[in-house]
Amino acid sequence: MKGEGRARFLLRILNRFFTIFLIVAFVITASTMLFVSVLSVTLELTLTGENLGLAAKLTFANTVLLSLLFTAIDLLRHHLTVERPVKKITEAAERMIAGDFTVRIKSSPPGFTDGHFNEIIDCINKVAEELSGVETLRTDFIANVSHEMKTPLAAIRNYGKLLEAPSLPEEERVAHARAIIDATRRLSDMMTNVLKLSRLENQKIYPKAERYDLGEQLCEELLQYETVWEGRGIEIETEIEEGVTVRADRELLSLVWSNLFSNAFKFTERGGKVTLRLFVDGGYAVVRVEDTGCGMSPEVGAHIFEKFYQGDTSHAAAGNGLGLPLVKRVVDILQAEIAVESTVGEGSVFTVRIGRDKNGLQENR
Amino acid sequence: MFKILVVEDDKDLNFTVCSFLGRSGYEAVGCRDAESAYDEMYRTTFDLIVSDIMMPGIDGFEFAKTVRSLNSDIPILFMTARDDFAAKQRGFRIGIDDYMTKPIDLDELFLRIGALLRRSKIASSRRLEVGAFVMDADERSATLDGEEIALTAREFDLLYKLLSYPKKTFTRTQLMDEFWDVDTQSGTRTVDVYMTKLRSKLSRCEDFEIQTVHGLGYKAVIK
Repeated sequence: MKGEGRARFLLRILNRFFTIFLIVAFVITASTMLFVSVLSVTLELTLTGENLGLAAKLTFANTVLLSLLFTAIDLLRHHLTVERPVKKITEAAERMIAGDFTVRIKSSPPGFTDGHFNEIIDCINKVAEELSGVETLRTDFIANVSHEMKTPLAAIRNYGKLLEAPSLPEEERVAHARAIIDATRRLSDMMTNVLKLSRLENQKIYPKAERYDLGEQLCEELLQYETVWEGRGIEIETEIEEGVTVRADRELLSLVWSNLFSNAFKFTERGGKVTLRLFVDGGYAVVRVEDTGCGMSPEVGAHIFEKFYQGDTSHAAAGNGLGLPLVKRVVDILQAEIAVESTVGEGSVFTVRIGRDKNGLQENR
Repeated sequence: MFKILVVEDDKDLNFTVCSFLGRSGYEAVGCRDAESAYDEMYRTTFDLIVSDIMMPGIDGFEFAKTVRSLNSDIPILFMTARDDFAAKQRGFRIGIDDYMTKPIDLDELFLRIGALLRRSKIASSRRLEVGAFVMDADERSATLDGEEIALTAREFDLLYKLLSYPKKTFTRTQLMDEFWDVDTQSGTRTVDVYMTKLRSKLSRCEDFEIQTVHGLGYKAVIK
Protein backbone atom coordinates (compact mmCIF):
# COMPACT_ATOMS: atom_id res chain seq x y z
CA MET A 1 0.00 0.00 0.00
CA LYS A 2 2.72 2.38 0.97
CA GLY A 3 4.71 1.61 -2.19
CA GLU A 4 1.61 2.10 -4.24
CA GLY A 5 0.97 5.45 -2.58
CA ARG A 6 4.52 6.54 -3.25
CA ALA A 7 4.31 5.45 -6.89
CA ARG A 8 1.11 7.39 -7.28
CA PHE A 9 2.74 10.40 -5.65
CA LEU A 10 5.71 10.17 -8.04
CA LEU A 11 3.39 9.80 -10.98
CA ARG A 12 1.51 12.87 -9.87
CA ILE A 13 4.72 14.89 -9.59
CA LEU A 14 5.83 13.63 -12.97
CA ASN A 15 2.52 14.53 -14.50
CA ARG A 16 2.67 17.98 -13.02
CA PHE A 17 6.27 18.43 -14.03
CA PHE A 18 5.46 17.41 -17.58
CA THR A 19 2.58 19.85 -17.80
CA ILE A 20 4.65 22.70 -16.44
CA PHE A 21 7.54 21.71 -18.72
CA LEU A 22 5.29 21.86 -21.76
CA ILE A 23 4.01 25.27 -20.78
CA VAL A 24 7.43 26.67 -19.97
CA ALA A 25 8.93 25.13 -23.12
CA PHE A 26 6.16 26.60 -25.23
CA VAL A 27 6.51 30.05 -23.68
CA ILE A 28 10.32 30.07 -23.94
CA THR A 29 10.34 28.69 -27.48
CA ALA A 30 7.77 31.18 -28.64
CA SER A 31 9.49 34.19 -27.05
CA THR A 32 12.97 33.06 -28.13
CA MET A 33 11.80 32.51 -31.70
CA LEU A 34 10.23 35.94 -31.78
CA PHE A 35 13.29 37.55 -30.20
CA VAL A 36 15.74 35.79 -32.51
CA SER A 37 13.78 36.43 -35.72
CA VAL A 38 13.35 40.11 -34.88
CA LEU A 39 17.07 40.32 -34.02
CA SER A 40 18.15 38.58 -37.20
CA VAL A 41 16.08 40.90 -39.35
CA THR A 42 17.34 44.14 -37.73
CA LEU A 43 20.98 43.04 -37.57
CA GLU A 44 20.78 41.23 -40.91
CA LEU A 45 22.31 38.12 -39.44
CA THR A 46 21.94 34.69 -40.88
CA LEU A 47 21.58 32.07 -38.25
CA THR A 48 22.91 28.61 -38.82
CA GLY A 49 22.51 25.43 -36.80
CA GLU A 50 26.10 25.77 -35.65
CA ASN A 51 25.89 29.14 -33.97
CA LEU A 52 22.56 28.25 -32.43
CA GLY A 53 23.63 24.80 -31.14
CA LEU A 54 25.02 25.84 -27.78
CA ALA A 55 22.32 28.42 -27.11
CA ALA A 56 19.63 25.84 -27.88
CA LYS A 57 21.11 23.31 -25.50
CA LEU A 58 21.47 25.93 -22.77
CA THR A 59 17.89 27.12 -23.25
CA PHE A 60 16.63 23.55 -23.09
CA ALA A 61 18.51 22.96 -19.83
CA ASN A 62 17.16 26.26 -18.58
CA THR A 63 13.62 25.20 -19.45
CA VAL A 64 14.01 21.94 -17.56
CA LEU A 65 15.45 23.76 -14.56
CA LEU A 66 12.69 26.36 -14.55
CA SER A 67 10.05 23.65 -14.88
CA LEU A 68 11.54 21.82 -11.91
CA LEU A 69 11.51 25.01 -9.87
CA PHE A 70 7.92 25.75 -10.83
CA THR A 71 6.88 22.20 -9.99
CA ALA A 72 8.42 22.54 -6.56
CA ILE A 73 6.70 25.88 -5.96
CA ASP A 74 3.41 24.48 -7.18
CA LEU A 75 3.72 21.48 -4.91
CA LEU A 76 4.31 23.75 -1.94
CA ARG A 77 1.36 25.93 -2.87
CA HIS A 78 -0.84 22.91 -3.32
CA HIS A 79 0.23 21.53 0.02
CA LEU A 80 -0.46 24.76 1.88
CA THR A 81 -3.68 25.90 0.25
CA VAL A 82 -5.41 22.63 -0.61
CA GLU A 83 -4.00 19.62 1.17
CA ARG A 84 -3.78 21.21 4.59
CA PRO A 85 -7.39 22.47 4.79
CA VAL A 86 -8.66 19.24 3.20
CA LYS A 87 -6.78 17.24 5.78
CA LYS A 88 -8.14 19.40 8.62
CA ILE A 89 -11.68 18.95 7.33
CA THR A 90 -11.44 15.20 6.79
CA GLU A 91 -9.89 14.70 10.23
CA ALA A 92 -12.69 16.66 11.85
CA ALA A 93 -15.30 14.74 9.88
CA GLU A 94 -13.76 11.46 10.93
CA ARG A 95 -13.90 12.46 14.59
CA MET A 96 -17.54 13.42 14.17
CA ILE A 97 -18.25 10.06 12.55
CA ALA A 98 -16.65 8.48 15.60
CA GLY A 99 -19.13 10.41 17.78
CA ASP A 100 -16.97 13.29 18.96
CA PHE A 101 -18.98 16.44 18.38
CA THR A 102 -16.63 18.75 20.28
CA VAL A 103 -14.36 19.31 17.26
CA ARG A 104 -14.05 22.81 15.85
CA ILE A 105 -11.83 23.52 12.83
CA LYS A 106 -9.66 26.63 12.82
CA SER A 107 -10.13 28.50 9.56
CA SER A 108 -6.96 29.21 7.57
CA PRO A 109 -5.65 32.80 7.39
CA PRO A 110 -7.07 34.57 4.33
CA GLY A 111 -4.74 34.78 1.35
CA PHE A 112 -3.06 31.61 2.44
CA THR A 113 -5.86 29.53 1.15
CA ASP A 114 -8.72 29.43 -1.21
CA GLY A 115 -11.59 31.32 0.48
CA HIS A 116 -14.03 28.50 -0.33
CA PHE A 117 -12.36 26.19 2.14
CA ASN A 118 -13.13 28.64 4.92
CA GLU A 119 -16.77 28.57 3.91
CA ILE A 120 -16.79 24.77 4.18
CA ILE A 121 -15.02 24.97 7.53
CA ASP A 122 -17.61 27.40 8.90
CA CYS A 123 -20.40 25.06 7.79
CA ILE A 124 -18.79 22.04 9.42
CA ASN A 125 -18.29 23.95 12.64
CA LYS A 126 -21.98 24.83 12.69
CA VAL A 127 -22.95 21.21 12.04
CA ALA A 128 -20.73 20.08 14.91
CA GLU A 129 -22.24 22.67 17.22
CA GLU A 130 -25.80 21.60 16.38
CA LEU A 131 -24.95 17.93 16.74
CA SER A 132 -23.29 18.43 20.10
CA GLY A 133 -26.45 20.16 21.31
CA VAL A 134 -28.58 17.22 20.19
CA GLU A 135 -26.08 14.81 21.67
CA THR A 136 -26.25 16.47 25.10
CA LEU A 137 -30.03 16.26 24.99
CA ARG A 138 -29.86 12.61 24.00
CA THR A 139 -27.43 11.60 26.72
CA ASP A 140 -29.40 13.61 29.27
CA PHE A 141 -32.56 11.94 28.05
CA ILE A 142 -31.09 8.47 28.44
CA ALA A 143 -29.67 9.33 31.86
CA ASN A 144 -33.04 10.66 32.94
CA VAL A 145 -35.01 7.74 31.56
CA SER A 146 -32.72 5.31 33.34
CA HIS A 147 -33.04 7.22 36.57
CA GLU A 148 -36.79 7.46 36.32
CA MET A 149 -37.14 3.79 35.45
CA LYS A 150 -34.60 2.33 37.79
CA THR A 151 -35.74 4.14 40.89
CA PRO A 152 -39.22 2.60 41.01
CA LEU A 153 -37.79 -0.76 39.92
CA ALA A 154 -35.33 -0.67 42.78
CA ALA A 155 -38.15 0.21 45.16
CA ILE A 156 -40.27 -2.69 43.89
CA ARG A 157 -37.40 -5.10 44.26
CA ASN A 158 -36.58 -3.97 47.78
CA TYR A 159 -40.14 -4.09 49.02
CA GLY A 160 -40.52 -7.52 47.43
CA LYS A 161 -37.45 -8.61 49.33
CA LEU A 162 -38.89 -7.23 52.56
CA LEU A 163 -42.15 -9.07 51.91
CA GLU A 164 -40.25 -12.34 51.71
CA ALA A 165 -39.51 -12.16 55.44
CA PRO A 166 -41.51 -14.88 57.22
CA SER A 167 -42.95 -13.06 60.23
CA LEU A 168 -43.94 -9.63 59.07
CA PRO A 169 -46.33 -7.50 61.13
CA GLU A 170 -49.60 -7.02 59.29
CA GLU A 171 -49.37 -3.24 58.94
CA GLU A 172 -45.85 -3.47 57.53
CA ARG A 173 -46.94 -6.05 54.99
CA VAL A 174 -49.76 -3.78 53.84
CA ALA A 175 -47.46 -0.76 53.72
CA HIS A 176 -44.88 -2.61 51.63
CA ALA A 177 -47.49 -3.88 49.22
CA ARG A 178 -48.85 -0.38 48.86
CA ALA A 179 -45.37 0.99 48.15
CA ILE A 180 -44.97 -1.58 45.37
CA ILE A 181 -48.29 -0.56 43.87
CA ASP A 182 -47.27 3.11 44.00
CA ALA A 183 -43.95 2.41 42.32
CA THR A 184 -45.56 0.44 39.50
CA ARG A 185 -48.06 3.22 38.99
CA ARG A 186 -45.27 5.75 38.63
CA LEU A 187 -43.42 3.45 36.25
CA SER A 188 -46.43 2.84 34.10
CA ASP A 189 -47.37 6.53 33.93
CA MET A 190 -43.87 7.26 32.76
CA MET A 191 -43.86 4.48 30.20
CA THR A 192 -47.13 5.73 28.78
CA ASN A 193 -45.72 9.23 28.41
CA VAL A 194 -42.42 8.05 26.92
CA LEU A 195 -44.29 5.97 24.38
CA LYS A 196 -46.69 8.75 23.49
CA LEU A 197 -43.84 11.20 23.17
CA SER A 198 -41.76 8.93 20.98
CA ARG A 199 -44.77 8.20 18.84
CA LEU A 200 -45.23 11.93 18.38
CA GLU A 201 -41.56 12.54 17.72
CA ASN A 202 -40.69 9.67 15.45
CA GLN A 203 -43.69 9.49 13.24
CA LYS A 204 -44.74 12.05 10.83
CA ILE A 205 -48.00 13.16 12.28
CA TYR A 206 -50.90 13.93 10.06
CA PRO A 207 -53.42 15.50 12.38
CA LYS A 208 -56.93 14.43 11.61
CA ALA A 209 -58.76 17.71 11.59
CA GLU A 210 -62.40 17.68 12.56
CA ARG A 211 -64.69 20.45 13.68
CA TYR A 212 -65.89 20.18 17.23
CA ASP A 213 -67.03 22.07 20.31
CA LEU A 214 -63.94 22.94 22.33
CA GLY A 215 -65.89 23.83 25.48
CA GLU A 216 -67.48 20.41 25.57
CA GLN A 217 -64.13 18.69 25.21
CA LEU A 218 -62.72 20.77 28.06
CA CYS A 219 -65.69 19.88 30.29
CA GLU A 220 -65.33 16.19 29.58
CA GLU A 221 -61.57 16.23 30.17
CA LEU A 222 -61.89 18.20 33.39
CA LEU A 223 -64.51 15.75 34.66
CA GLN A 224 -61.90 12.99 34.52
CA TYR A 225 -60.40 14.64 37.59
CA GLU A 226 -63.66 14.84 39.54
CA THR A 227 -62.55 12.23 42.07
CA VAL A 228 -59.26 14.09 42.55
CA TRP A 229 -60.79 17.45 43.37
CA GLU A 230 -63.49 15.89 45.52
CA GLY A 231 -60.95 13.83 47.44
CA ARG A 232 -58.63 16.75 48.04
CA GLY A 233 -61.24 19.44 48.57
CA ILE A 234 -60.04 21.59 45.68
CA GLU A 235 -62.39 24.32 44.54
CA ILE A 236 -63.25 24.40 40.84
CA GLU A 237 -64.21 27.47 38.88
CA THR A 238 -65.24 27.35 35.25
CA GLU A 239 -65.96 30.12 32.83
CA ILE A 240 -66.57 28.54 29.46
CA GLU A 241 -67.85 30.56 26.57
CA GLU A 242 -70.43 28.57 24.64
CA GLY A 243 -70.25 27.58 21.02
CA VAL A 244 -66.50 27.90 20.56
CA THR A 245 -65.50 25.42 17.91
CA VAL A 246 -62.10 24.47 16.58
CA ARG A 247 -60.96 22.44 13.61
CA ALA A 248 -58.26 20.18 15.01
CA ASP A 249 -57.28 16.65 15.91
CA ARG A 250 -59.49 15.88 18.88
CA GLU A 251 -57.34 13.11 20.31
CA LEU A 252 -54.10 15.09 20.12
CA LEU A 253 -55.65 18.16 21.67
CA SER A 254 -57.10 16.12 24.51
CA LEU A 255 -53.51 15.22 25.46
CA VAL A 256 -52.88 18.92 26.02
CA TRP A 257 -55.87 19.41 28.31
CA SER A 258 -55.36 16.24 30.30
CA ASN A 259 -51.73 17.10 30.98
CA LEU A 260 -52.48 20.69 31.95
CA PHE A 261 -55.28 19.58 34.29
CA SER A 262 -53.24 16.82 35.82
CA ASN A 263 -50.43 19.29 36.53
CA ALA A 264 -52.81 21.85 37.96
CA PHE A 265 -54.22 19.28 40.39
CA LYS A 266 -50.81 17.83 41.17
CA PHE A 267 -49.42 21.14 42.36
CA THR A 268 -52.51 22.48 44.08
CA GLU A 269 -52.73 21.92 47.80
CA ARG A 270 -55.81 20.77 49.66
CA GLY A 271 -58.29 23.62 49.76
CA GLY A 272 -56.74 25.35 46.75
CA LYS A 273 -58.51 26.31 43.56
CA VAL A 274 -58.26 25.37 39.90
CA THR A 275 -59.84 27.64 37.32
CA LEU A 276 -60.66 26.80 33.73
CA ARG A 277 -61.52 29.53 31.26
CA LEU A 278 -62.36 29.43 27.59
CA PHE A 279 -62.91 32.61 25.63
CA VAL A 280 -62.61 33.98 22.12
CA ASP A 281 -59.91 36.47 21.21
CA GLY A 282 -60.15 37.52 17.58
CA GLY A 283 -59.45 34.48 15.44
CA TYR A 284 -58.29 32.45 18.43
CA ALA A 285 -59.84 30.31 21.08
CA VAL A 286 -57.97 30.91 24.32
CA VAL A 287 -57.89 28.33 27.09
CA ARG A 288 -56.51 29.29 30.49
CA VAL A 289 -55.81 26.78 33.22
CA GLU A 290 -55.02 28.47 36.52
CA ASP A 291 -54.01 26.88 39.79
CA THR A 292 -53.18 28.17 43.23
CA GLY A 293 -50.28 25.78 43.62
CA CYS A 294 -46.67 26.37 44.52
CA GLY A 295 -45.87 28.26 41.31
CA MET A 296 -42.37 28.50 39.92
CA SER A 297 -39.55 30.95 39.36
CA PRO A 298 -38.87 32.41 35.89
CA GLU A 299 -35.76 30.18 35.66
CA VAL A 300 -37.86 27.08 36.18
CA GLY A 301 -40.56 28.41 33.86
CA ALA A 302 -38.03 28.74 31.05
CA HIS A 303 -37.26 25.02 31.13
CA ILE A 304 -40.51 23.25 31.88
CA PHE A 305 -41.13 22.30 28.26
CA GLU A 306 -37.87 20.35 28.14
CA LYS A 307 -37.92 16.61 28.58
CA PHE A 308 -37.41 15.39 32.13
CA TYR A 309 -36.95 18.85 33.44
CA GLN A 310 -38.57 19.06 36.82
CA GLY A 311 -38.79 22.25 38.78
CA ASP A 312 -38.50 20.07 41.84
CA THR A 313 -35.05 18.61 41.44
CA SER A 314 -35.60 16.08 44.20
CA HIS A 315 -38.15 14.33 41.95
CA ALA A 316 -40.43 14.40 44.95
CA ALA A 317 -43.59 15.32 43.11
CA ALA A 318 -45.28 12.40 41.42
CA GLY A 319 -44.52 13.56 37.89
CA ASN A 320 -42.01 12.30 35.40
CA GLY A 321 -41.10 15.47 33.55
CA LEU A 322 -42.62 14.34 30.30
CA GLY A 323 -46.09 15.83 30.46
CA LEU A 324 -45.26 19.37 29.37
CA PRO A 325 -42.84 18.37 26.58
CA LEU A 326 -45.69 16.24 25.27
CA VAL A 327 -48.02 19.24 25.48
CA LYS A 328 -45.48 21.44 23.73
CA ARG A 329 -44.99 18.91 20.97
CA VAL A 330 -48.72 18.63 20.32
CA VAL A 331 -49.16 22.41 20.45
CA ASP A 332 -46.40 22.73 17.83
CA ILE A 333 -47.94 20.09 15.61
CA LEU A 334 -51.32 21.83 15.77
CA GLN A 335 -49.70 25.22 15.17
CA ALA A 336 -51.08 26.59 18.40
CA GLU A 337 -49.25 28.53 21.09
CA ILE A 338 -48.68 27.90 24.75
CA ALA A 339 -47.43 30.28 27.41
CA VAL A 340 -47.00 30.13 31.14
CA GLU A 341 -47.10 32.85 33.78
CA SER A 342 -46.24 31.94 37.30
CA THR A 343 -45.40 33.43 40.67
CA VAL A 344 -43.70 31.39 43.35
CA GLY A 345 -46.15 30.65 46.14
CA GLU A 346 -49.16 31.98 44.25
CA GLY A 347 -49.72 29.56 41.40
CA SER A 348 -49.38 29.19 37.67
CA VAL A 349 -51.45 30.08 34.64
CA PHE A 350 -51.08 28.15 31.41
CA THR A 351 -52.57 29.78 28.34
CA VAL A 352 -53.14 27.95 25.07
CA ARG A 353 -54.17 29.88 21.98
CA ILE A 354 -55.51 27.90 19.09
CA GLY A 355 -57.00 29.10 15.85
CA ARG A 356 -60.77 28.72 16.08
CA ASP A 357 -63.25 27.74 13.47
CA LYS A 358 -65.13 30.93 12.67
CA ASN A 359 -67.77 29.31 10.49
CA GLY A 360 -68.77 27.11 13.39
CA LEU A 361 -69.37 30.09 15.61
CA GLN A 362 -71.60 31.80 13.12
CA GLU A 363 -73.66 28.69 12.58
CA ASN A 364 -74.17 28.27 16.26
CA ARG A 365 -75.29 31.80 16.82
CA MET B 1 -72.99 -15.15 42.74
CA PHE B 2 -71.94 -13.43 39.51
CA LYS B 3 -69.74 -15.48 37.21
CA ILE B 4 -66.96 -13.71 35.34
CA LEU B 5 -64.88 -15.09 32.49
CA VAL B 6 -61.34 -13.74 32.27
CA VAL B 7 -59.60 -14.22 28.90
CA GLU B 8 -55.95 -13.21 29.15
CA ASP B 9 -52.92 -15.00 27.76
CA ASP B 10 -50.42 -13.80 30.36
CA LYS B 11 -50.34 -16.37 33.14
CA ASP B 12 -49.53 -14.00 36.01
CA LEU B 13 -52.00 -11.35 35.01
CA ASN B 14 -54.71 -13.96 34.50
CA PHE B 15 -54.02 -15.48 37.90
CA THR B 16 -53.93 -12.17 39.78
CA VAL B 17 -57.12 -10.86 38.18
CA CYS B 18 -58.97 -14.12 38.84
CA SER B 19 -57.86 -14.40 42.43
CA PHE B 20 -58.62 -10.74 43.09
CA LEU B 21 -62.12 -11.12 41.65
CA GLY B 22 -62.53 -14.35 43.63
CA ARG B 23 -61.72 -12.54 46.87
CA SER B 24 -64.02 -9.68 45.91
CA GLY B 25 -67.03 -11.98 45.86
CA TYR B 26 -67.22 -13.04 42.25
CA GLU B 27 -66.72 -16.45 40.74
CA ALA B 28 -63.92 -15.94 38.21
CA VAL B 29 -62.82 -18.46 35.59
CA GLY B 30 -59.57 -17.82 33.74
CA CYS B 31 -58.84 -18.81 30.12
CA ARG B 32 -55.56 -18.33 28.30
CA ASP B 33 -57.01 -18.06 24.78
CA ALA B 34 -60.27 -17.55 22.95
CA GLU B 35 -60.68 -21.23 21.98
CA SER B 36 -60.80 -22.41 25.58
CA ALA B 37 -63.02 -19.43 26.41
CA TYR B 38 -65.55 -20.69 23.86
CA ASP B 39 -65.40 -24.13 25.54
CA GLU B 40 -66.01 -22.60 28.98
CA MET B 41 -68.91 -20.56 27.68
CA TYR B 42 -70.42 -23.67 26.16
CA ARG B 43 -70.41 -25.34 29.58
CA THR B 44 -71.37 -22.41 31.81
CA THR B 45 -73.33 -19.19 31.54
CA PHE B 46 -71.33 -16.12 32.49
CA ASP B 47 -72.54 -12.72 33.62
CA LEU B 48 -69.58 -10.74 32.35
CA ILE B 49 -66.43 -11.15 30.24
CA VAL B 50 -63.06 -9.50 30.82
CA SER B 51 -60.86 -9.95 27.74
CA ASP B 52 -57.42 -9.04 26.48
CA ILE B 53 -57.00 -7.89 22.85
CA MET B 54 -53.60 -9.15 21.83
CA MET B 55 -53.70 -12.93 22.23
CA PRO B 56 -52.26 -15.77 20.20
CA GLY B 57 -54.70 -17.26 17.70
CA ILE B 58 -58.07 -15.55 17.85
CA ASP B 59 -57.59 -11.98 19.09
CA GLY B 60 -59.85 -10.03 21.42
CA PHE B 61 -61.67 -8.16 18.65
CA GLU B 62 -62.57 -11.39 16.89
CA PHE B 63 -63.57 -13.02 20.17
CA ALA B 64 -65.78 -10.10 21.23
CA LYS B 65 -67.41 -10.03 17.80
CA THR B 66 -68.28 -13.72 17.98
CA VAL B 67 -69.60 -13.42 21.54
CA ARG B 68 -71.67 -10.35 20.60
CA SER B 69 -73.20 -12.15 17.64
CA LEU B 70 -74.36 -14.95 19.95
CA ASN B 71 -75.29 -12.88 22.99
CA SER B 72 -76.16 -9.23 22.64
CA ASP B 73 -76.50 -8.57 26.37
CA ILE B 74 -73.45 -9.91 28.17
CA PRO B 75 -71.16 -7.05 29.28
CA ILE B 76 -67.66 -7.24 27.78
CA LEU B 77 -64.74 -5.30 29.25
CA PHE B 78 -61.49 -5.02 27.33
CA MET B 79 -58.33 -5.04 29.43
CA THR B 80 -55.46 -4.22 27.11
CA ALA B 81 -52.06 -2.64 26.63
CA ARG B 82 -53.27 -0.85 23.54
CA ASP B 83 -54.05 2.72 24.48
CA ASP B 84 -54.56 4.15 21.02
CA PHE B 85 -57.85 5.64 20.07
CA ALA B 86 -58.19 3.38 17.02
CA ALA B 87 -58.25 0.25 19.19
CA LYS B 88 -60.82 1.77 21.56
CA GLN B 89 -62.96 2.84 18.67
CA ARG B 90 -62.82 -0.58 17.05
CA GLY B 91 -63.71 -2.23 20.35
CA PHE B 92 -66.71 -0.04 21.03
CA ARG B 93 -67.93 -0.47 17.44
CA ILE B 94 -67.90 -4.22 17.91
CA GLY B 95 -70.05 -3.66 20.96
CA ILE B 96 -67.86 -3.91 24.02
CA ASP B 97 -69.07 -2.09 27.13
CA ASP B 98 -65.91 -0.82 28.77
CA TYR B 99 -62.22 -0.47 28.16
CA MET B 100 -59.26 -0.42 30.55
CA THR B 101 -55.60 0.12 29.72
CA LYS B 102 -52.86 -2.02 31.24
CA PRO B 103 -51.44 -1.90 33.76
CA ILE B 104 -54.89 -1.92 35.27
CA ASP B 105 -55.75 -0.88 38.78
CA LEU B 106 -57.59 -3.86 40.31
CA ASP B 107 -59.70 -1.64 42.55
CA GLU B 108 -60.86 0.26 39.51
CA LEU B 109 -61.57 -3.00 37.70
CA PHE B 110 -63.75 -4.00 40.64
CA LEU B 111 -65.68 -0.71 40.51
CA ARG B 112 -66.19 -0.92 36.78
CA ILE B 113 -67.35 -4.53 36.91
CA GLY B 114 -69.82 -3.55 39.62
CA ALA B 115 -71.17 -0.72 37.47
CA LEU B 116 -71.37 -2.93 34.38
CA LEU B 117 -73.28 -5.66 36.22
CA ARG B 118 -75.60 -3.09 37.71
CA ARG B 119 -76.37 -1.59 34.32
CA SER B 120 -76.75 -5.00 32.79
CA LYS B 121 -79.31 -5.86 35.47
CA ILE B 122 -81.14 -2.60 34.84
CA ALA B 123 -81.02 -3.27 31.11
CA SER B 124 -82.39 -6.78 31.41
CA SER B 125 -85.05 -6.08 34.04
CA ARG B 126 -85.87 -2.64 32.65
CA ARG B 127 -86.30 -1.56 36.26
CA LEU B 128 -84.24 0.68 38.43
CA GLU B 129 -84.47 0.88 42.19
CA VAL B 130 -82.80 3.37 44.49
CA GLY B 131 -84.05 2.89 48.03
CA ALA B 132 -87.76 3.73 47.98
CA PHE B 133 -87.58 5.20 44.49
CA VAL B 134 -88.44 2.90 41.58
CA MET B 135 -88.37 3.55 37.84
CA ASP B 136 -89.91 1.17 35.33
CA ALA B 137 -88.70 1.66 31.79
CA ASP B 138 -91.50 -0.36 30.14
CA GLU B 139 -94.34 1.46 31.86
CA ARG B 140 -92.29 4.64 31.94
CA SER B 141 -93.43 5.21 35.49
CA ALA B 142 -91.60 6.52 38.52
CA THR B 143 -92.78 5.87 42.06
CA LEU B 144 -91.56 7.01 45.45
CA ASP B 145 -92.80 4.85 48.35
CA GLY B 146 -95.36 3.41 45.92
CA GLU B 147 -96.68 6.87 45.13
CA GLU B 148 -96.55 7.89 41.47
CA ILE B 149 -94.44 10.88 40.48
CA ALA B 150 -95.53 12.41 37.20
CA LEU B 151 -92.56 12.88 34.88
CA THR B 152 -92.54 13.98 31.27
CA ALA B 153 -90.89 11.61 28.78
CA ARG B 154 -87.71 13.67 28.65
CA GLU B 155 -87.53 14.09 32.42
CA PHE B 156 -87.89 10.34 32.75
CA ASP B 157 -85.11 9.67 30.22
CA LEU B 158 -82.75 12.15 31.87
CA LEU B 159 -83.29 10.73 35.33
CA TYR B 160 -83.08 7.12 34.13
CA LYS B 161 -79.76 7.92 32.51
CA LEU B 162 -78.31 9.65 35.56
CA LEU B 163 -79.41 6.88 37.90
CA SER B 164 -78.07 4.15 35.60
CA TYR B 165 -74.63 5.69 36.02
CA PRO B 166 -74.59 6.95 39.59
CA LYS B 167 -71.73 9.31 40.47
CA LYS B 168 -70.85 9.77 36.83
CA THR B 169 -71.09 13.37 35.67
CA PHE B 170 -72.68 14.04 32.30
CA THR B 171 -72.08 17.33 30.57
CA ARG B 172 -75.05 19.29 29.30
CA THR B 173 -74.01 18.59 25.73
CA GLN B 174 -73.82 14.84 26.33
CA LEU B 175 -77.37 14.88 27.70
CA MET B 176 -78.64 17.14 24.91
CA ASP B 177 -77.09 14.91 22.25
CA GLU B 178 -78.88 11.91 23.66
CA PHE B 179 -82.32 13.26 24.46
CA TRP B 180 -82.91 16.21 22.18
CA ASP B 181 -83.19 16.32 18.38
CA VAL B 182 -79.98 17.07 16.54
CA ASP B 183 -81.41 20.22 14.98
CA THR B 184 -82.85 21.56 18.20
CA GLN B 185 -82.71 25.33 18.50
CA SER B 186 -82.48 25.39 22.28
CA GLY B 187 -79.09 25.95 23.91
CA THR B 188 -77.50 23.66 26.44
CA ARG B 189 -78.91 25.76 29.29
CA THR B 190 -82.26 24.08 28.58
CA VAL B 191 -80.84 21.12 30.50
CA ASP B 192 -80.60 23.36 33.57
CA VAL B 193 -84.32 24.07 33.37
CA TYR B 194 -85.09 20.34 33.27
CA MET B 195 -82.81 19.64 36.22
CA THR B 196 -84.52 22.34 38.29
CA LYS B 197 -87.92 20.77 37.50
CA LEU B 198 -86.66 17.29 38.34
CA ARG B 199 -85.26 18.48 41.65
CA SER B 200 -88.50 20.08 42.69
CA LYS B 201 -90.51 16.99 41.70
CA LEU B 202 -88.14 14.79 43.69
CA SER B 203 -87.81 17.09 46.67
CA ARG B 204 -89.25 14.44 48.99
CA CYS B 205 -86.84 11.76 47.83
CA GLU B 206 -83.99 11.22 50.23
CA ASP B 207 -82.27 8.26 48.65
CA PHE B 208 -80.40 10.22 46.02
CA GLU B 209 -79.90 13.74 44.77
CA ILE B 210 -79.02 15.41 41.51
CA GLN B 211 -75.88 17.45 41.91
CA THR B 212 -74.54 20.24 39.74
CA VAL B 213 -70.82 19.82 39.14
CA HIS B 214 -69.19 23.25 38.97
CA GLY B 215 -70.98 24.36 35.87
CA LEU B 216 -69.64 21.33 34.02
CA GLY B 217 -72.63 19.02 34.19
CA TYR B 218 -74.90 16.91 36.38
CA LYS B 219 -74.70 13.66 38.28
CA ALA B 220 -76.91 11.56 40.50
CA VAL B 221 -75.44 10.69 43.89
CA ILE B 222 -76.99 7.85 45.83
CA LYS B 223 -76.98 8.46 49.58
